Amino acid sequence: MSLNNKVVIVTGGSSGLGLAISKRMAKDGYQVLINYNSNEEGAARCRDEITKAGGRASIIQFNVSDREQVEASLEKFFGENSDAQLYGLINNAGITKDTLVGLMSDDDFKDVIETNLYGSFYLMRWSVKKMLLKKEGFVINMASLSGQVGNGGQANYAASKAGVIAMTKSLANEVGRRGIRINCVAPGIIETKMTENIPFLEEMKKNIPLRRIGKPEEVASVVSFLASTEASYMTGQTLSVNGGLYFS
Amino acid sequence: MEKQLIVDGINETLSEEFELGIDKLTPDAHLFDDLGLDSLDAVDMLVHIEDKTGVKMDVEQFQKVKTLGDVYDLVAEVSSQSKLN
Repeated sequence: MSLNNKVVIVTGGSSGLGLAISKRMAKDGYQVLINYNSNEEGAARCRDEITKAGGRASIIQFNVSDREQVEASLEKFFGENSDAQLYGLINNAGITKDTLVGLMSDDDFKDVIETNLYGSFYLMRWSVKKMLLKKEGFVINMASLSGQVGNGGQANYAASKAGVIAMTKSLANEVGRRGIRINCVAPGIIETKMTENIPFLEEMKKNIPLRRIGKPEEVASVVSFLASTEASYMTGQTLSVNGGLYFS
Repeated sequence: MEKQLIVDGINETLSEEFELGIDKLTPDAHLFDDLGLDSLDAVDMLVHIEDKTGVKMDVEQFQKVKTLGDVYDLVAEVSSQSKLN
């Protein structure tokens, strides 16, 4: 299958997991549309690395929680690049505002839900409507171990990610008959900025059967599998990438 | 966009995409009961009509549509509004 003009959007593609996923998607042959909100430098670096390696990538700025911005930016990009066909969406952009529920402000809760849950919804709704026309495509939502089991200090984040998992199953049900697959990847503790300040990390490693934290590339390879035709009979699933910390 | 052009464009899209006979495409045809469409077909229809006519429809308004005549009217209404804007 030629993937030449098949575009995969990666939200939050300027660093961490999104960076690794963007690079992997490009390596797999897709044209990658790297979204960033504020880190233009990171997104541009990611694009340049991909281009240097012979891949195709562009960068696009929008805040996933701002519906109008999301839709206007994507309409503009695909309007200006008429040969580009939207084939995949990877909802990776996410934020944390960790604190105990007793100390959590309304804004701490709202901001995380708006970015992680509403943001994924806005992108999915826009993208799936395009995919319905072509009767092909995939969405991969980045969930989290927190969304599967809950996590003290992350009531907002866990709720958003549990919502993402349920939303994935629901949409998979709706659009499966059009050949569009919707799945989730739920990473455990991965080496990124989001996890660099986790307290007692060394202690925590003892509870992970594989005795180490994961690398972004180890999540990207699972995303790559779900995006590929190797996973053509999988939809509505959540694949855990957590070193065995939780067996789903 | 003139109403007849809208009607013709929508009918053409529906007959192509949903393999519906043109004779079935009357204004009083109920989308679900008469044309046999289901809810996902309605989403498809929305997407195809937007793609064909370039008219962006409001999802909440579209949810109220029951017959093909309602679809023609809505597209005509949105189309004339977007012209005014």
